[in-house]
This record gives sequence, structure tokens and C-alpha cells, in this order.
Amino acid sequence: MPHIRSMYNFGFRLTLDRDDAKDLVQDTYLKAYRFIESFQRGTNAKAWLFRILKNSFINDYRKKSKEPSKVDYQEVEAYYNSEEVDRQITPDLRVESLKDMIGDEISNALNALDVDFRTVIILSDLEEFKYEEMAKILDIPIGTVRSRLHRARNLLKEKLSEYAKSMGYNKSNL
Amino acid sequence: MTKPESPFLKQDGTKCSCMDMLQQMLDSEVTDEQREYFKQHLDHCMPCYKNYDLEMTIKELLKSKCCGSDVPSDLLQEIQMQITQKISS
Repeated sequence: MPHIRSMYNFGFRLTLDRDDAKDLVQDTYLKAYRFIESFQRGTNAKAWLFRILKNSFINDYRKKSKEPSKVDYQEVEAYYNSEEVDRQITPDLRVESLKDMIGDEISNALNALDVDFRTVIILSDLEEFKYEEMAKILDIPIGTVRSRLHRARNLLKEKLSEYAKSMGYNKSNL
Repeated sequence: MTKPESPFLKQDGTKCSCMDMLQQMLDSEVTDEQREYFKQHLDHCMPCYKNYDLEMTIKELLKSKCCGSDVPSDLLQEIQMQITQKISS
């Protein structure tokens, strides 16, 4: 079964539940099988599968779940396209603190992000999709992919910085 | 020695900021020429060097810690079974 590992990981990271992830992945492969004619030869099959899974998640699963209300992207994007971006303060986070995070900290930080931000990190950093592929998977413009990814990285850093602080890493030296 | 022209340009032809270059690097949306330019840029831009180092460490941490959900052993079988049923029906 092509890409099953990546697909299951994506499903799990979206639903944060192993049984739901299983259902979602199963559903995705059955849909892929049923709609195989709609797959354009020569295009990225993995991106196509990811798109089906993401749509299944939104249509079948997300309706039932109690995901927190969506972030106002227009507001977020207006901010991130403004000149403010370059002046933003990087959270106090050090490479040394990260190297000490050998447990579930990073995984928990990722899971704690709003699902839309979590998704772009997974697609870019874990699965190495390009802007163009991500735009197709998510049905959003490339500019939105870019700004959402930027925002997601900063939110992730904030979370990691909180963990680092709570564990006292940043208190020692400097 | 004059500095080489930046291959990182915005749509309006002006030079990208450090932050823009950094993001393009992290998102792997760069050409070989841009990558080479950025690597040289790191040698004399301390904030970029520090940020790049931090971001790459996070990226590596993500890859090593967040990819490993083991696929349930029965999942593959179930999918294969359901597809086989569809074929025969």
C-alpha cells in the first residue's frame, strides 16, 4: 500500500486519535480506489492521497469533533503581510534547550497547535511538500500557504519556548 | 570586494529581507544559487545564523520525533480486504 506510513501519521496528527486515524486512512484508500480515474497520470500520487485524506477529515470527521473555533486568517494574514513581520520578537528559545527535549515535548507542541497550523507543518517539514503541492492539497492560494506556514512556525516556537521555560532550561547560564 | 548581487528578489524587483530569505530556505523553496548565496550570507549575519540554526534544529526534531506513529498491523489487511470485496462485488 503506497505511502501508508505517511498517511497514517497524517491521519493521527489531524485527529489525535489512533482509531479515528485508522478509519480515516481506510476511508482514504477506498476513495482513492473508487475515484482512481480522477487521478492525473504523471502528477504526485502522494499529494493526491493527502488531499483525499484532508477532505475526508474536513467533511466526515471535523463536523463531529469539537475542534476549537477557527482562527481569523484574514486578520492573521493582514498582520503577516505587513511590515511588522521583520520586527517581530523571536521567542526566547535556544538550541541547547531543544537538544534537551528528548521526550514527547516536540510532538505535544505540534499537537497543541490549531489543526490548520499543524497541517502545514506536517506537510512541509515532515512530508517535504512544496508550496504548489500544499496549495493543491489544501485548496488555498500559494501566498496563503506561505503566510500560514510562517505563522505556524512561530506558534510552534512559542509553544516550545513555554516548555523550555517550564522545565527550567532557560534559567541556567546567560 | 563588492558583495554579490542577491538572487532573492521580490516581485517588484527589490531585495528580500533576511526574514524572507530564511523562510524560503526553511520551506525548501530555493534554487541552488539562492542556497549558495544564503550559506555565504550566514557567515556575516549573526541573527540569520542563529535563527537558521534554531529553525533547522526544530525541523530535525520534528522529523525524528513526529513521523514514527506505527501503522496498526491490521489496517493494511482491512483495506486490502475491503478493496478485494469491492472488486468481486
